Amino acid sequence: MFSDEIKTLRRLGFRHVLLQILNFASVLTSGLMIWKGLGLITNTESPIVVVLRSAHRRIRVSRTTLSGSMEPAFYRGDLLFLVNPANKRYETGDITVYRIPGQDIPIVHRVLETHDVVKVVNGVRETTPLPENQLLLTKGDNNYLDDVELYKGLDWLEHKHIIGKVRGFLPYVGYVTIALNDFPQLKYALLGGLGLLALVQRE
Amino acid sequence: MHSIYARVNNVSATLSSTVMALLAAIALSSFIFTAQPTGSLDIASVKVFAGEARRYPHRRQEYAFVNFNITADLSPLFHWNTKQLFVYLEAEYTNAKGVRNQVIFWDRIVRRQEDAVIAVSGKNKYPFREISAKFKGSTPANYTLKYNLMPFVGVLTHGEAVRVTDPIDFPLARERVE
Repeated sequence: MFSDEIKTLRRLGFRHVLLQILNFASVLTSGLMIWKGLGLITNTESPIVVVLRSAHRRIRVSRTTLSGSMEPAFYRGDLLFLVNPANKRYETGDITVYRIPGQDIPIVHRVLETHDVVKVVNGVRETTPLPENQLLLTKGDNNYLDDVELYKGLDWLEHKHIIGKVRGFLPYVGYVTIALNDFPQLKYALLGGLGLLALVQRE
Repeated sequence: MHSIYARVNNVSATLSSTVMALLAAIALSSFIFTAQPTGSLDIASVKVFAGEARRYPHRRQEYAFVNFNITADLSPLFHWNTKQLFVYLEAEYTNAKGVRNQVIFWDRIVRRQEDAVIAVSGKNKYPFREISAKFKGSTPANYTLKYNLMPFVGVLTHGEAVRVTDPIDFPLARERVE
């Protein structure tokens, strides 16, 4: 079955195999570099997230987000593009992705209230409120109540809990990652298949 | 050269690149539509009552109750890349401690152009609380009807439909309803 492939592999020689491995590795690393570069530009730890709806099935992966509470705007499998401009406050109506400390999976919900707290430092009141002192309250569009119960004892959401706000939207494409995470065999099959193809490809 | 593998490869490559180009074109096209919705917003009354703070039953906190009338035509915002509008009513003011507050107290999701003409006389949907417990000493509040346009694909945009002409003062808190 694979005799042909093995034969070509023998014919092409060791150097060719090394070259193909190098090509494959450069594809992987350029993907990673694009991801990290996007993160650098948008100032978020994950510039693209996938909406993962089912709250009862907790899949432990980063880059996914829990929601059913934002329907009919966002459904499972939708891709969200995030930005997190440095030193800028969030506005009401922004859709934020936040992670409460101690929780694995981020949540995507809309900002309902913002309070720009003015801190008093060494007895002097700041002239302008700093964005990192902003207190926020969020709510899912499809929920009846706001998110205080999700904050695990915190009274307000703070700037530091927020990964980014949703700027762009692309439907369905995230199903690829959901499928790969739901069926790990698929992931290994895909990776292995790609690797093999890269090896036996001519020129 | 004309193997099944090559054909499948070609077809899927063409399909995915054309779909991507089409989606990009649709996303970019929504920048052409820059309609401005029209309407009027009237705050009928604002009342302030003291109540129990949430989670802290022995702490007092003031709640504002706003009655309002909205007539707004948001239908110009609906174009081929509009999935839905999130319409919300927001109060903005600065309290006695210098904290600037923005609070959404009413919202609505509009999914069809037929539903985009909004005529509502309503009251708070969500509690409107003052973070420092008292509205006393706050600046008058600006009330604004805003929207968030959510596309089928592309960039989410925010905008302002209508705002009250003059900011409105918070009245003194009343202990009970008369």
